[in-house]
Amino acid sequence: MTPYNWQQTLRQKADYVEDRLKEGSPVVALSAQEGILLLTVRRGQRKVFEIYDRLAFSGLGNQSDLEAVRQLAVDFAHAEGFQRSPDDVSIQRVVGVALSPALKRSFSDPLRLPLVFLGLFAQVEPTPEDDLYYLLNYDGEFSLHQRYAAAAGREAGRIEMEQVLSEPKRAPKLEAALEIALRAWTVGRASLKESGERWEERLSQELQQGRVEAALLERDARRDRRFRLLPESEIKPFLPRRS
Amino acid sequence: MSERKSPGDLMSLLEAQGIRFPTVDADLPKNPASVADVHGTTVIAVKFDQGVLNVADRRATAGNAIFYEEAEKILKLDDETLIAIAGSYATASEAVRFLQHSFKYYARSQLQEMSLEGKLHEVSRVLGRALPGALQGIGGFLPIVSAFDREKREGRIFFYDAMGARFESREFGAAGSGAERIRGAFEYIVRIKRPFRQMKLEEALREALLLLEIAASLDTATSGIRQRLPSAKTVTADGVQELSEDLLRALQRELLAL
Repeated sequence: MTPYNWQQTLRQKADYVEDRLKEGSPVVALSAQEGILLLTVRRGQRKVFEIYDRLAFSGLGNQSDLEAVRQLAVDFAHAEGFQRSPDDVSIQRVVGVALSPALKRSFSDPLRLPLVFLGLFAQVEPTPEDDLYYLLNYDGEFSLHQRYAAAAGREAGRIEMEQVLSEPKRAPKLEAALEIALRAWTVGRASLKESGERWEERLSQELQQGRVEAALLERDARRDRRFRLLPESEIKPFLPRRS
Repeated sequence: MSERKSPGDLMSLLEAQGIRFPTVDADLPKNPASVADVHGTTVIAVKFDQGVLNVADRRATAGNAIFYEEAEKILKLDDETLIAIAGSYATASEAVRFLQHSFKYYARSQLQEMSLEGKLHEVSRVLGRALPGALQGIGGFLPIVSAFDREKREGRIFFYDAMGARFESREFGAAGSGAERIRGAFEYIVRIKRPFRQMKLEEALREALLLLEIAASLDTATSGIRQRLPSAKTVTADGVQELSEDLLRALQRELLAL
């Protein structure tokens, strides 16, 4: 294989993945006073997951690829947490040490089908200003974010989501965060600037085929497990009413 | 991203990654008399009307020496399960750390909670792993597991032998050097007063603290309630709770005045 072919192969793989990610349901994460809120809309399988004591994950892509990455993250975190200490399991180590090189290897292998994957990882800290977010790409590249993070298959969608998420100057209460996250998800799903639709109308349409999945990674956890999926009763008051 | 034979099993994961558990080497000299491992002594579990109460003194010994007077022998395995440990502190604390991780690992990787039966079996497996060391005379420990059973809506107490055989107790459980000496007193309370499971928390706590103090008067390795406040935790439908120092201190005063 010549260098030219190799580059072409990578480009083709990237095009293949990005094409499939375009239709994926975006993922939102936002620091609230009570903890980190992760939110998406799903049609089938669960999409928001607990990784370790202070870590959660969501993403878009093929379900089997999300599952493979999730298992790798959970395995790494628990082996490390047991061998050393739960305090030594950090988002930086899970994404930077365990996942990124594995994704890079997988993507660079010309004989392997690339993972259709875009992941969002969150780590809750004692104060919202210190919460950490990592976006991990299908090729192993990752970026660090604070206060909020958005993952979407369309770049324009991600930018619009970040505009919504950057509105609050301080970490909002959970109820306000839920409304912001729903709005951010909707603009990430479809550009409302082009259609002129109200976000509530668009979300209402989307929810005819999907359901909101949201989880809170609690900041001050009295219980062992900080992660909890929000029940429908907590989400419903913020959903647009169907006309 | 390889597949393992036993999904959700922490022991398999550690073995696959070359992480050793337990870390205490089973291949010890035949008579390791020079090693005096630190032992936790008396732990007690009794039922009450809302769940299970665990009480333990704070003493850890090494041979004839008092090694530590602030030992915590009642540990939370998860939000619905307590373990009280007597015997080798090194092995027991590592086993507890393993169990805590094992339950969480199962729940997070399999996306469902481990059943109570699964958790109890995991404790048996851990005891089996510690057995080679225990047979060499070092590293053995005996746990009492207290759990709130959400299906039956009641607290349950389980105790084990050193090989991992599990038994369920209707009313109470105790382990450690002071436990055998007070076993008759438990029976006396159940027959003459009333079953522990019918008692309110404060009444059950008073009986358990008195039993601990009796154990201390009969066993040098048990510190009882006289010098230091013991530790006391409950597991109920609301999860695990540590009892307040004020409540313990009030009952300590009352019992020592008897």
